[in-house]
Amino acid sequence: MNNNIEEIVKEAILQIKVADLKTVENIKIKYLGKNGTLTQILKSLSNFSAEDRKNIGSKANSAKSVIENEIESRKETLRKTLLEEKMQKEKLDYSSDFYFPFSKGSFHPIMQTIQDICSIFKSLGFSVAQGHEIETQWYNFEALNIPKSHPARDVQDTFYLEGTEELLRTHTSPGQIHVMESQKPPVRVIVPGRVYRNEASDATHFSTFHQIEGLAVDEDITFVDLKAALSDFIHEFFGYGIDIRFRPSHFQFTEPSAEVDVQCVFCNGKGCRVCKNSGWIELLGCGMVHPNVLKAVSYDSEKYTGYAFGLGVERITMFKYGIDDIRLFYENDLRFLKQF
Amino acid sequence: MKVSYNLLKSFVSFDLGPKELASIFTSIGIETSVVSNTCNWTNVVTAKILDIQKHPEADKLSLCKVSDGAKEFSIVCGAKNISVGQVVPLAKIGALLPDNFQIKKSKIRGIESEGMLCSKKELGLAEESESIYILDDKIKLGVTLEDVLDDVDSVLEIEIATNRGDVLSYLGLAREIGAKLKKIVTYPKTTTYKVSGLNCVQIKSSSCVRYIGGIISGIKVGESPEWIKDALEKSGIRSINNIVDITNYVMLELGQPLHTFDLKKLSSKNVVVRAANESEKIIALDGKEYELSSDMLVIADDNHPIAIAGVMGGQYSGIGKSTETVFLESAVFDSVSVRKTSKKLNLASDSSYRFEKGVSWDIAEVAFWRAVNLISDIAGGKIEAREDLQNIKYEKTSIVLRVERVFKVLGYKISKDEIIEILRYLGMDLQSKGEVILCTVPSWRNDIKEEVDLIEEIVRIKGYDTIPLQKKQAVCLSTSSDSFIGKTVEDFRVKLNGLGFSEALNCSFCEIIELEKFGLKYLYKIINPVSKENEVLRPSLLPGLYKNLVLNISQGLESVTLFEYGKNFNELGERKAFALIAYARVWQEWWKWAEQKINPKYDFYFGGGIIKNILPQDFMITQNLTPKEYYHVGKTASVMHKGKVVGQFGILSPYITEGIKDEVFYCEIDLSSTEKDQNFEVTQYKTFSKLPLVKRDISVIADKTLPFVKIEKVIKNIMKLGGILKDYSLFSVYTDEAKIGEGKIGYSFRLSYKDENKTLTDTEVNKDMHYLLEKLDLDLQVKVRE
Repeated sequence: MNNNIEEIVKEAILQIKVADLKTVENIKIKYLGKNGTLTQILKSLSNFSAEDRKNIGSKANSAKSVIENEIESRKETLRKTLLEEKMQKEKLDYSSDFYFPFSKGSFHPIMQTIQDICSIFKSLGFSVAQGHEIETQWYNFEALNIPKSHPARDVQDTFYLEGTEELLRTHTSPGQIHVMESQKPPVRVIVPGRVYRNEASDATHFSTFHQIEGLAVDEDITFVDLKAALSDFIHEFFGYGIDIRFRPSHFQFTEPSAEVDVQCVFCNGKGCRVCKNSGWIELLGCGMVHPNVLKAVSYDSEKYTGYAFGLGVERITMFKYGIDDIRLFYENDLRFLKQF
Repeated sequence: MKVSYNLLKSFVSFDLGPKELASIFTSIGIETSVVSNTCNWTNVVTAKILDIQKHPEADKLSLCKVSDGAKEFSIVCGAKNISVGQVVPLAKIGALLPDNFQIKKSKIRGIESEGMLCSKKELGLAEESESIYILDDKIKLGVTLEDVLDDVDSVLEIEIATNRGDVLSYLGLAREIGAKLKKIVTYPKTTTYKVSGLNCVQIKSSSCVRYIGGIISGIKVGESPEWIKDALEKSGIRSINNIVDITNYVMLELGQPLHTFDLKKLSSKNVVVRAANESEKIIALDGKEYELSSDMLVIADDNHPIAIAGVMGGQYSGIGKSTETVFLESAVFDSVSVRKTSKKLNLASDSSYRFEKGVSWDIAEVAFWRAVNLISDIAGGKIEAREDLQNIKYEKTSIVLRVERVFKVLGYKISKDEIIEILRYLGMDLQSKGEVILCTVPSWRNDIKEEVDLIEEIVRIKGYDTIPLQKKQAVCLSTSSDSFIGKTVEDFRVKLNGLGFSEALNCSFCEIIELEKFGLKYLYKIINPVSKENEVLRPSLLPGLYKNLVLNISQGLESVTLFEYGKNFNELGERKAFALIAYARVWQEWWKWAEQKINPKYDFYFGGGIIKNILPQDFMITQNLTPKEYYHVGKTASVMHKGKVVGQFGILSPYITEGIKDEVFYCEIDLSSTEKDQNFEVTQYKTFSKLPLVKRDISVIADKTLPFVKIEKVIKNIMKLGGILKDYSLFSVYTDEAKIGEGKIGYSFRLSYKDENKTLTDTEVNKDMHYLLEKLDLDLQVKVRE
């Protein structure tokens, strides 16, 4: 009988191995069903001696579970094969037409630059303030140490409004004055926004453009701090490998004043058409706040010092993306906008 | 300004090449580049002219035989200044001249030329020159040109900061280099003479602070010597005659513009510096007539203006071949007056450029004598009389500099000794008293007015590159959560970006006629617009976005979706606004949609859906009681924020979009009125039941005239009671009046029921649903659709 059980198991396994999903069920019935071979053996156990009963019983039971396992694993294999085949049949061409109902949206490159710059300065501890585009002469000029006789006051560069003494701000610097009037030092703020100049438009000039003004005033702010903050900003924005140079310049509202150049991104400083062979590109203007500006907002110019800077957003964006005509920013041709 | 490297070297000694010199200048705030380096050629040799014949086919050309000592060449030449025996530069076949000009074998009017004789201009040695460069005839033949020219020179282009008129001269530049390299500057030698006074000059305006005039007689007008011509050429100034050239040369050398009049041509002996008479006319040296006004300054004789002060001389008193006696002027005019005159007349000159930036009180006198000396050396004149009129009592600026303040502003230590050294080389007179230095500023530095200006000078000369890169940034947080864009707009932008919208930026100006098309009114008009299209400030973002839409349609795009955030200028003042425009197909084209015939376009409902989706919770959409003129009256709604209308949306009026195929959806929201208390309004979490929702669909029929919002209100009111009805959605609208009755409209809703505590039974749900249907019937006569 023992040999017989082993034979049965062997035979069953052989059959299971080649069975498909239908025949595997038949095999299950044949061996393990109500009248299945092994079921029969277990039913007939009463005919045997107690010892044999125990022996054969346990063998038959383990044979039953061997066959059950074998069947289950065969079924699992068959299910897997079936799914594999199904997937193979359903295979699609990855190079075909993927689809999303909406076209790709885009953010304006100017707005992206403003946001990028704001977030860098926020991480350096600056707040963001907003100014007015319509300004008074005092905020745009006098308070910034630009007296009436200064060439920058010539009507040619500034847009004036009919029926009012006001004008369109020519720079974001009036923002400095508003901020200082509204709070006491320490001040650390940037003022992004739109400014206007009466200039004929060409590839690098447009009557509407954007600037970001920065201002820090406290008891111990120095030129060294200015250099550190702006170096940090430039490296964060353009990457840590880029060379920077500070060079003396002149602005009415800062003294000492500087211009900051970065290594030309188009030729890596070797010299090209864009940088006029100098290897450098002028990036921003800055300096230590002129004492007259501090006096204009009734800050104690002996006690407090500060630095200020201003940068042209269009210019920086043009360098970043290699855009060669400023007017593209305001045409809003989707073939341009969708690239960003 | 363009200057010669070699000439600069004669004012201060330095051991730097042109490029190094340029970079030193740049590092001290004078942007400089090398514009021409002399040896910009290859294969140019010295050659002697052996023979000159007329070109048989062209009167203006000649045929030359030249020799480089070994070989003869036939050259066709167009210049007139050549003669046999001269030694000239010959560019042989294959020579490369500036601007990549390659000399090739060529036929000129039928005759072959084996090279070219060169002018200074062709060699890049001068800005202007029409004649062949004649070399010393003792020079060896056949040697490369660069080896025989000891005047190989470079021209530097200098750009100055607006307040640094003092460097617009060789002397000024030499002073700067001297300060940086700690070298002493050599002034040109001048001899002064004691001569009698001139009692005929008068200053009648405060715009002239100093006027030095002198009479030089016995001069002979002629051509200038080569060295003067050369210096002028390199700075791009045309040589005229020795007298005019000398005044220009002294201006280049010392920065003081000078002027000369032919004394004989004046109608009187008197010279007056006065305000111009209104509408007075003068023909200037450029041959053009200018009409003057009373805010301008002129130099005049008794009858006419003879010069526009500081800008340009008059033609009739100009120096000519027959001039024997000149009146030489060296004056200090008010910079603002000269600038305004020059702008008003649209007439700029080398003289006005310098006066605008301010000239030096002291140098005016040095320049006068320098010119007198040169005229006498070159043109043989002799000074007869001189007058120095001073309209003010001039005093040099004195400033107290505190050494400790230098550190306070710069943040790094510069020793007192070093400060003193730097300032001394800049020409300051110094008196040191403990920790304070009393500085007297030289007359040419009228940009230095206070202590902080001196601090700039110190760090400028020491070098910005010496400022240490030290971070002592304290830990500090930004003190506000403000951002450029604001939370609401940021939310709009991100959501719309995901829906395929692109962000636009339009210029803030538009044209009145364009506004009228949209029924818009402007508030601010520009006095001095760049053009008529830019005459007013935009009162709405619509004109710009609509223009963008039209542009993109004309470029062949079938659907356009744009948004913009910016300022509007309308009756409420300067306002922050957000707008979007959407046109035609909502989805991109795809074969699968075509197969299923699905292709929605932006209409009132789809556009409205987008608005509803992007608006934050505290906004609402309501009926538009006062639609803007540019909306379709039947397809518009308004946007409310906390009980106040802040925006409108809808389909643009067909009056506007005539000619455009599909409807245009537009929405504009005024954000300035929603700004307050937007920050830190955090949505609070509400608990929700984990039991499943029971869904029921109902269909109802209503009169078409009944606003949908009323039906919604009934449903919402029931929901507000806090019963088991939790949500609803409209999933179908029937408009087929043949089936549902004339003047009727059908809506199908999906209702969602839920009890927070138990699973609902059918009976409970049915009961609640019937209550709703009864209420709709009772309140609005909305019936169930059978």
